[in-house]
Amino acid sequence: MTAPLYGYGIFGENTSLLLAVILGIFFGLFLERGGLGNPHKLTGVFYFTDFTVPKVMFTAILVAASGLYLLSDLKLLDISRVWIVPAFFWPQIMGGILFGAGFVLSGYCPGTAITGLASGRLDALVAMTGIGAGSLIFAVLYPYIEGFYVSSAMGSITLPRLLKINHWIVIVLLYVFAAGMFYLMERFEKRS
Amino acid sequence: MEKNNFWSPYIAGVGLGLTLLATFYIIGWGLGASSAYSLVTAVSLKEITPGYADSLEYFSRYLNAESPLKDWILFEVTGLFIGALAGSLLSGNFRIRFDKAEKMSSKKRFLTAAAGGILIGFASRLSRGCTSGVALSGGAQLAAAGWIFVIAMFAGGFVFAAFFRRLW
Repeated sequence: MTAPLYGYGIFGENTSLLLAVILGIFFGLFLERGGLGNPHKLTGVFYFTDFTVPKVMFTAILVAASGLYLLSDLKLLDISRVWIVPAFFWPQIMGGILFGAGFVLSGYCPGTAITGLASGRLDALVAMTGIGAGSLIFAVLYPYIEGFYVSSAMGSITLPRLLKINHWIVIVLLYVFAAGMFYLMERFEKRS
Repeated sequence: MEKNNFWSPYIAGVGLGLTLLATFYIIGWGLGASSAYSLVTAVSLKEITPGYADSLEYFSRYLNAESPLKDWILFEVTGLFIGALAGSLLSGNFRIRFDKAEKMSSKKRFLTAAAGGILIGFASRLSRGCTSGVALSGGAQLAAAGWIFVIAMFAGGFVFAAFFRRLW
């Protein structure tokens, strides 16, 4: 096993930064071409008028999850060397709710605001400045919220490990869920 | 009017998923966005008022690095901008504008963009990332964090939209 390539020292930091730009270009291209630089499409799901966000997001998650666990099962990728996002139950519940409200209000999220600006939207620049300001407010208030910030830590745990089931069961359930959701969304969009 | 020549969301989703998979394989972590804002804010604050920036414990995670701006995430979002710019220019979707809901005043749009941005910036730090780093990357890893965040975000968004029906 020699992947993740950077983790195995196949190349150095400067190459990793060049690859960051290249991977970022594809990231931005697919966001823009999917319509995710457009705040009307980005907020549509919350008003049941346009389901682009969940369609792009769940398709991407299913493709990447299937590939990641397939490469891991085939011993082509050492998943223990992949940095897994750590879970903090209550901070992520609270953060998610506030984020959802901010998403509807501004019409963007951090990555899609950059996409919006790159398609000429100056309102996205206002949202981006706000995101920076929100980070600053967090840093200023950090001493008062640190206790909550580090509370209910669960570590870098995955759903298969948490539920003690095989990862393919989780992935297949996600496929079934997404298929049902996509079917309903297509029907709903055709009707309205 | 904007040309509505976007790709099928499923095609864009497959492309995005393959990009994320390549990032896991090549680099060993996922795609992100929000920490770039936090990093740039910390570095800017340090330029303006070094003493105060150093007094903020949360920002020390960025400022203690030897050269804070030589950070993977900053290069990735630079690429994001270039890729999105290429996409919008080549498809004829690039147009300078102040985008807002049909009947909303520009002043109100300024306020919603700014206030929403502030909420997102704060919430991303609390959640350890945003729709890219936690929802998309964490979701694909089947990380508990990703799915906790996805569910809370959609719940928050739907409730908020129900109360503010005329925003979009």
